Amino acid sequence: MNTSMRHLANWSILGLTLTFLIGPFLIIILAGASDTEYLAFPPQGLTFKWYLKVFTVESFRASFLLSMALAVFGTLAALLLGVPAAYALNRYDLPMAETVRTIVAAPIIVPGIIVGLALLRYMVVPTGVTVTLALFMAHTALVLPYAVRVVSSSMTNLRADMEEAAVLLGCTRLQAFTKVVLPNIRGGVLAAFILGFVTSFNQVPVSLFLSGPGVRTLPIDMLAYMEITFDPSVAALSALLAFMSLAIVFTAERLLGFSRYV
Amino acid sequence: MFRNTREGLALALPAAIFSTLLFLVPVGILLSEAFRGTTGGWSLQGYIDFFSTPLNRTVFLRTLKLGVLVAGTAAVIGYAAAFCIVNLGPKSRGKVFGMVVLPLMISPVARTYAWIVILGRTGIVNEAITGLGLSDTPLRLLFTETAVFLGLLQLFLPLMIISLVSAMENIPRDVIPAARVLGASWFAVFFKVILPLTKEGLVIGGTLVFTGALTAYITPAILGGSKVLMLETLLYQRVNVSNDFVSASVIAMILIVMSFSANLLLKRIATARS
Repeated sequence: MNTSMRHLANWSILGLTLTFLIGPFLIIILAGASDTEYLAFPPQGLTFKWYLKVFTVESFRASFLLSMALAVFGTLAALLLGVPAAYALNRYDLPMAETVRTIVAAPIIVPGIIVGLALLRYMVVPTGVTVTLALFMAHTALVLPYAVRVVSSSMTNLRADMEEAAVLLGCTRLQAFTKVVLPNIRGGVLAAFILGFVTSFNQVPVSLFLSGPGVRTLPIDMLAYMEITFDPSVAALSALLAFMSLAIVFTAERLLGFSRYV
Repeated sequence: MFRNTREGLALALPAAIFSTLLFLVPVGILLSEAFRGTTGGWSLQGYIDFFSTPLNRTVFLRTLKLGVLVAGTAAVIGYAAAFCIVNLGPKSRGKVFGMVVLPLMISPVARTYAWIVILGRTGIVNEAITGLGLSDTPLRLLFTETAVFLGLLQLFLPLMIISLVSAMENIPRDVIPAARVLGASWFAVFFKVILPLTKEGLVIGGTLVFTGALTAYITPAILGGSKVLMLETLLYQRVNVSNDFVSASVIAMILIVMSFSANLLLKRIATARS
């Protein structure tokens, strides 16, 4: 096979794969703009009314705010637990390091739907905590493995003698952490935040059972809306969410080379 | 390394305790529920009852079948795509790789919803079929195993490609041309050179895709509905419709056992080959 033939074969395989992976997004963007009362593709006429309607649906607004709050505060809480854990696993010779690592990684391995059900049955029902609090804790636990992993990997290249030098020069251990370690792992922490935010925001199975009257995350709300309405507004909302994720990832990539950390 | 173990534990334990209380304990109780006999004591009755219902057996086998099919197809496409990606110049390689990763950042609800637009009654495929006169009435393409298969493949293919690309990047540059010069066919190059050198990537990718397909909820819920139940959607139904927590606990255990055995089996295969 000569080079130009191989080139062509290469790009046709990639073209087909990328069409399969990305094509559906182009389709929902257009489907959301169809001037019909039902979902249609190719779109018949072009309108922005479905894109605007998304903002007027009361339940979407409430569930969007809940999902946002869960993603932001859940990820922050996960970092608060995860950064010290990642630091300890890297810097200390812990007796049970492997056990701690496995326990913290467990939420990735266990299917989310089981976790949601277990929390509902054995935490919400017996203790009477609110569904919102349970959601917050579930999302924190879900993001924790990512926080520990990403922060850990950004810490492995940081040599411990820099901190020791800082301590010798008169810093307390805490100061050594905030002045030497933290600035050096800033990129990793930010990357962990973004990864955690996106994971939490898009999460469905964990939240499936953890919903109550007026308390629903956005993806669950979209599922419910889909079952009763067939207008293109869910396509429009899906397209808007895709744009939001893309904007976050692009900004992160530009600012800190996000993909290095993931 | 710092020697002060107490200090280290004080930093690491909050995360571990949090995960234990919120994950291991509730999930452990849930899993034990199926083993609890009606008269107290332990029993396997929950499992026997579950598998003696034909519907449950169908759903179990379907989930296994779709998981294997999706992982297998993803591996075939993944090898082709990964091979092409590592052969690109450094600049377009980064761009194409980015386009493969991007879908992972987008809500699975949005990603699955696109298939409704494609396969629905007024979707692009049915418009084409009726437009070309191949059928007078729109075909039922949604709520079929094919729809669920396509949705799952689109959802998890990136994970396979990523795993295989990073495995292939570690193949020394000259190995494949050397095998070719020495007379190996492309078939032999793949099975004797590429596959053995990338098997770790295949194991990771295969586990991620298979486990992902088993435990996906949205795709079978939207594209399969109650016509094409999978274990996840069956679990949801059992809890929400019939309040049957024993079945839910059995399904939970099956899902976890399947995920772990897939990982072990793939690892075994990988080490046996070498």
